[in-house]
Amino acid sequence: MAMAALRREGRRFAPMISPNPINSLRSSLAPSEEQAFIGVRSISTQIVRNRMKSVKNIQKITKAMKMVAASKLRAIQVRAENSRGLWQPFTALLGDTPSVDVKKNVIVTISSDKGLCGGINSTSVKTSRALFKLNSGPDKENRYVVLGEKAKAQLIRDSRKDIEITLTELQKNPLNYTQVSVLADEILKNVEYDALRIVFNKFGSVVSFMPTTATILSPEIVEKEAEAGGKIGDLDSYEIEGGETKSEILQNLTEFQFSCVMFNAVLENACSEQGARMSAMDSSSRNAGDMLDRLTLTYNRTRQASITTELIEIISGASALEG
Amino acid sequence: MASNAAVPFWRAAGMTYITYSNICANTVRNCLKEPYISEAVAREKVHFSVAKWVDGKPQKPIVRSDDPEE
Amino acid sequence: MFRQAPQLMARATTVAMRCRRLFSTDVPVEASADSTFVEAWRKLIPNIEPPKTPSSFMTPRPSTPASIPTKLTVNFVLPYSSQLSNKEVDMVIIPATTGLMGVLPGHVATIAELKPGVFSVHEGNDVTKYFVSSGFAFIHANSFADIIAVEAVPLDHIDPSLVHKGLADFTQKLNSASTDLEKAEAQIGVDVHSALNSALTG
Repeated sequence: MAMAALRREGRRFAPMISPNPINSLRSSLAPSEEQAFIGVRSISTQIVRNRMKSVKNIQKITKAMKMVAASKLRAIQVRAENSRGLWQPFTALLGDTPSVDVKKNVIVTISSDKGLCGGINSTSVKTSRALFKLNSGPDKENRYVVLGEKAKAQLIRDSRKDIEITLTELQKNPLNYTQVSVLADEILKNVEYDALRIVFNKFGSVVSFMPTTATILSPEIVEKEAEAGGKIGDLDSYEIEGGETKSEILQNLTEFQFSCVMFNAVLENACSEQGARMSAMDSSSRNAGDMLDRLTLTYNRTRQASITTELIEIISGASALEG
Repeated sequence: MASNAAVPFWRAAGMTYITYSNICANTVRNCLKEPYISEAVAREKVHFSVAKWVDGKPQKPIVRSDDPEE
Repeated sequence: MFRQAPQLMARATTVAMRCRRLFSTDVPVEASADSTFVEAWRKLIPNIEPPKTPSSFMTPRPSTPASIPTKLTVNFVLPYSSQLSNKEVDMVIIPATTGLMGVLPGHVATIAELKPGVFSVHEGNDVTKYFVSSGFAFIHANSFADIIAVEAVPLDHIDPSLVHKGLADFTQKLNSASTDLEKAEAQIGVDVHSALNSALTG
């Protein structure tokens, strides 16, 4: 049975087994006893040993990355949860209107700069593309604002013309409100919008991230919707304490709302990124462990097969002499 | 600071509400006692790079940063 | 719209509202606007699940009660923490742009922009004071008050010497400022420092 397995393995490694490469391998690698007795159909244990070494290294690296992601997650999760109170008053006041029908939609996609974090960036991009499609129409203009390298790379492929701004290098310093608000300011200054739709991954737990979209309306649209009644209809019942006109306060309010919601969104996305990276690295180290087990079995089989071959040759040689 | 003007002075000068509130917050942070002031100032560092796109082509990115250029 | 939620939901969720410290508060309250969005999404994009919206992560607010409640429920949030979350107090005084404003239960619904000043919370005989840099305050008809500030510090974290120095610096900058933007920045500095000064002395 061992020989059958070996034959199977031999077929897999066949391209490597032609005599010339093995000779060059022999000259470059430290010669081991087994190599002198290996025929064309078995695998050199040296090759398996090298594979085992590299897989073990990969396992160490992914385990370390998992630990790093876990510690980063702990730090940022606290901040994300503390910032959850920030957007709730706005939703309580202005309601949540993802189905609003406006001319200029700007889709703000939040993603990570670094990779190896599972599928969260792809889900964000898929959701953004779907929102784009949902809100497209004859007289509508949709634009993208992209945060993070990964979404930029994906959206460049088919939506180059619709990208308005890209922002990268966000996580050089730990995330703080000033950074996100300056970002938000940048976006507000450079983009005309009737509705901003922020797409991000909300952190549920280490294994659950929910794609979420938060909608922020421009002050003019808020006034229009307030007059039309519905969700924001009660807005008129609020007195304005500020001495300025209602539209002035609304403008300040919507800018502040965008900044607060962005802050929470960026933090949640960063949490999701670390959590996804943790689980991706965890499954990767587990895979590496499995692969290492399989390779160890192959290695042992090869070793034993070569010993058996050696024994057979000795014994048959001895019996030939006797007989 | 009630003004009878239609817009507050900072909006007339071209600031958005976000810029105004950031300047206020920064001013307050700079008036704190130790150790609060050093931890607050260290916390609020800004660094990002923004690139505008025209017709599907990125323009040169601008880096906004509190750190000195390396 | 959440205030018009049916009475049953309001009664059931008032208990949940006490412990609104959000962790995994996925109380899925699918409001009607969400369902239009969800339906439109499902029609057009059947393969992907529609994304969640913020309202599904929030416990709804109770509707306006018939009689004025005895206490004001206050949410005081900052970017890095929720200082007060659903705390029931007697009164709060907020530094609105038109001056200090006292808010009692049953106050008329108001949206107020805040200026740099002292925000105080009165509960029985305790008064807690914070200096807020700027923000907004929403007072709802159901005696809920949301105060959102960018930066809020207890008064004893402020260093008077730095305040005086800052005031002098910015007054000088205001006199020597040339462009509108510089003047505005200097003016803001002066305003904030004077407010800090009066908070420390007053």
